Amino acid sequence: MSVTPEELMAYADGELPAADAARVAAAIAADPALAQRLAAERRLREALQGHLNPVAEEPVPDALAAMIAAAVQEDERKVVSLAAARAERESGTESGKRPFMQRWGSGMAIAASLVLGLMLGTQLQPGGPVAEKNGALVASGRLAKGLENQLASAQGGNGPLRILVSFQRKGGDYCRVFENGTAAGIACKEDGDWMLERVIASGQRQTGEYRQAGSPESALLAAAQDMAAGDPLDAAAEKAVRSKAWGK
Amino acid sequence: MNRFCEDLTALLPRLRRFARGLTHDAADADDLCQQTIERALKSRQQWQEGTRLDAWVYRIMRNQWIDETRARKRRSQTFVHEDEGMNVGNAAHHEAENLVELGNVGRALARLPEEQREAVVLVLVEGFAYKEAAEIIGVPQGTLTSRLGRGREALLKELGEAA
Repeated sequence: MSVTPEELMAYADGELPAADAARVAAAIAADPALAQRLAAERRLREALQGHLNPVAEEPVPDALAAMIAAAVQEDERKVVSLAAARAERESGTESGKRPFMQRWGSGMAIAASLVLGLMLGTQLQPGGPVAEKNGALVASGRLAKGLENQLASAQGGNGPLRILVSFQRKGGDYCRVFENGTAAGIACKEDGDWMLERVIASGQRQTGEYRQAGSPESALLAAAQDMAAGDPLDAAAEKAVRSKAWGK
Repeated sequence: MNRFCEDLTALLPRLRRFARGLTHDAADADDLCQQTIERALKSRQQWQEGTRLDAWVYRIMRNQWIDETRARKRRSQTFVHEDEGMNVGNAAHHEAENLVELGNVGRALARLPEEQREAVVLVLVEGFAYKEAAEIIGVPQGTLTSRLGRGREALLKELGEAA
């Protein structure tokens, strides 16, 4: 029954499988030289630990703990800012999913729907600005013509229709934010028609360049910004897209 | 305090002991500890929860020390070149002084080749299993046990009955 030095070492380190360990233990019991060798291994381990363990007993320098504490603070700041960013993102996504009427304050939404009902009552007539097509509202008549031809970049502001901005939405359709004295909305060119994506009653028309913050128009512009794939079209782009009948 | 930093803080006494075992010099060990904690904190996103944090940080410390010893070797080679033999004596003298302070065990440990010393310290002092120690060093287990065996042999010979 022989025991290699490697086996003895593994035995001393507790690394032998049980069966081998039992065999080595029996050999050690029968052989004083092996027992001596094992005792020397154990003394060596004790000597090394006796040499180094006191270091682990020393108080840890403040600098090390301070480094870790600083990292903890940094982590906490990150967690806070991540949570804030997430909350912002989520609220953004939610409002993006809501039907357009809910995007504005409930009071305004009710007022707007009342006016919209009145407006549609009078306007959903043959020859009016709004028509129904397969259950969706599309621009017709003068509104459709204006959406097709009028440039946001070149208008006096005195005509019945104003184009506030033109943009391309995610998915590629071209859309325009408009206002025609009684209603304002966003229309997108789809399959040859100007689909009315959002419509609100605009009430009294505001004259001049200045657009009041919080007005229905600014809400529409905010909605348009959410829909847009990039920046609004500039004068040259608008002209170019118009010449292709606002096709994708 | 988050879990990672809490556990890292709890490891500090052991990390200081391992650093002393590797460097056999208190000032070097302090520097090594600091560099290791710095690295560990910087790459804390890379630590995978559910794995042993101690083995992960020990590996960082061990690699940091290898980098440091290599850099020192390069520096000392340049140093000897420039000043011929003159400073070699000084360096050796300085080394000998350090060794006297270490005592028998520390001296014997300091004389071991780096790769044997780290194997001996990881298994006999830090208490890692062969498999864990091999992973920390980044070698097969057979390589670890052979270095451990040679290191042990050398220590036993040097320390004899004193051990």
